[in-house]
Amino acid sequence: MDNESTLRGKVAIVGIGQSPSGRVPGRSPLDLTADASLKALADAGMDKSQLDGVLTGNAYASSFHRFSVALSEYLNIQPSYSNTLQVSGATAGAAVNTAAAAIYSGLADTVLVACGDSLLTGMTPDLAIKAMTESRDQQYEMPFGIPVANTFAMTAHRHMKEFGTTSEQMAQVAVTFRQHASRTPGAQKTDLISIDDVLSSKMVSSPYRKLDCSLISDGAAALILTSAEKAYDYNQEPIFILGGGEYYSHEHIFLMPNLTETGAVQSAQKAYQMAGVSPLDIDVAGIYDCFTGTVLMMLEDLGFCKKGEAGPFVEAGEITYGGRIPTNTHGGMLSYAHPGIPAAWFHFTEVVRQLRGNCGERQVKDAAVGLVHTLGAGFSTHATTVLGKGSTL
Amino acid sequence: MKQFTEEDTIQKPLPIPDSDSQAMWEGLKKGELLLQHCEDCGHVQYYQQGLCRICQSKKLVHRAASGRGIIHSYSVVHRSPGPAFRDDVPYAVLLVELEEGPRMISSLLGKDFTHLEIDSPVAMKTMKISEQVFLPCFELINSADK
Repeated sequence: MDNESTLRGKVAIVGIGQSPSGRVPGRSPLDLTADASLKALADAGMDKSQLDGVLTGNAYASSFHRFSVALSEYLNIQPSYSNTLQVSGATAGAAVNTAAAAIYSGLADTVLVACGDSLLTGMTPDLAIKAMTESRDQQYEMPFGIPVANTFAMTAHRHMKEFGTTSEQMAQVAVTFRQHASRTPGAQKTDLISIDDVLSSKMVSSPYRKLDCSLISDGAAALILTSAEKAYDYNQEPIFILGGGEYYSHEHIFLMPNLTETGAVQSAQKAYQMAGVSPLDIDVAGIYDCFTGTVLMMLEDLGFCKKGEAGPFVEAGEITYGGRIPTNTHGGMLSYAHPGIPAAWFHFTEVVRQLRGNCGERQVKDAAVGLVHTLGAGFSTHATTVLGKGSTL
Repeated sequence: MKQFTEEDTIQKPLPIPDSDSQAMWEGLKKGELLLQHCEDCGHVQYYQQGLCRICQSKKLVHRAASGRGIIHSYSVVHRSPGPAFRDDVPYAVLLVELEEGPRMISSLLGKDFTHLEIDSPVAMKTMKISEQVFLPCFELINSADK
């Protein structure tokens, strides 16, 4: 791939915003998403009249079929570019990549990329069924009572069998992200936990216990992307898209080619190549952390350590401050918030804050290049985005 | 949009056969797990579709699987994914690798998880859910019986 012909450095994130998250009763997904969107506009110092594109994911606790169109109406925006994306947990990264491509191509000038949901307090029984049955195949998976957690759990069992990964090593991920969340204003869970706490929490879907699993939350987050030409017209230091990649290897978990090596390999490779960087160049990462073991597998597939070595890597403190790759410095979905599809938007807002240098006591020193990897549906969907400061162009 | 009732929340999601899968669900009523064999490239596939996933040939024939396989992976569900499965927990979801090659999602019959391990041999049994629906489930077998 010739970097000159890609969107590397052509598009930047110029605004970020978040609604309150955690337990936020009495606020609809649209209300939360509008809140985050207005905060992103304020952060950029931009009027909504500048937006001509709106991309969102869908919200389970909302009956709107075209959430991006409903959000536009809610904010009284009439975009000339809009879509509601659905690739499960990878929607965040796919939406950012897609918005960047739209801006680079001229389809849009300035795009709001937002998502919100109220999974914790806003789900009615009918919406809960819809959420449950929608995500796995009604014929070949759901009749056996397989929640999405189970698909990830089966990959973890294979990883333990093939590489000797232990429950203690997986628990370390939860412990580390809780430490990170304890320093993040607005985090849902801030009480420090130990490996023993994780190992003595209730079994959910073996080998995952309650504290191996992400939270259930309400909340929304929003990003505003614009072209490099306009990126310096706004209030904040622009954070540039250096590269994007995606990969979709299967739909059914039983057709996943290899349970311990995922499409993140191909997704990341493409993003690194476009960005002209290697994993060694990444200073800070946001990695989709629906379960503890998910993070271990991604550390390997994203190239931060070798296949099978993520357990010892995490035990050695490599995913926190002073380690090889500080990850999920806000606390991730395991401790900051997990409102469903919007969850990975918070990985983006945190990595952007880290690259701006705005993280206060959470700041990763001299962070210049960041990576966000989002994934979903039992490792079916993957989207990687490499971000960088203007100095990296 | 379909409005769901409280009643729906406790019903298990049942397969709704489509034109691709009708034969398989019919086969299960007779105790057979049908796999699709491609007459052009020899690929054996689960689940049923109109094309061979490898060579896109439409020359697919159904043959009953032996019903034997090994556990490629598994997870024991302790927290139910909704009210419909609340009375069933704990139960084991299996990713079975069939003798013929394909993998499938299924359930372990019974609640004895002591010998449930990756690579354990299993054999299929159908479980009647309704007149129309028989699910392919598996039980652990002793290696010696194989």
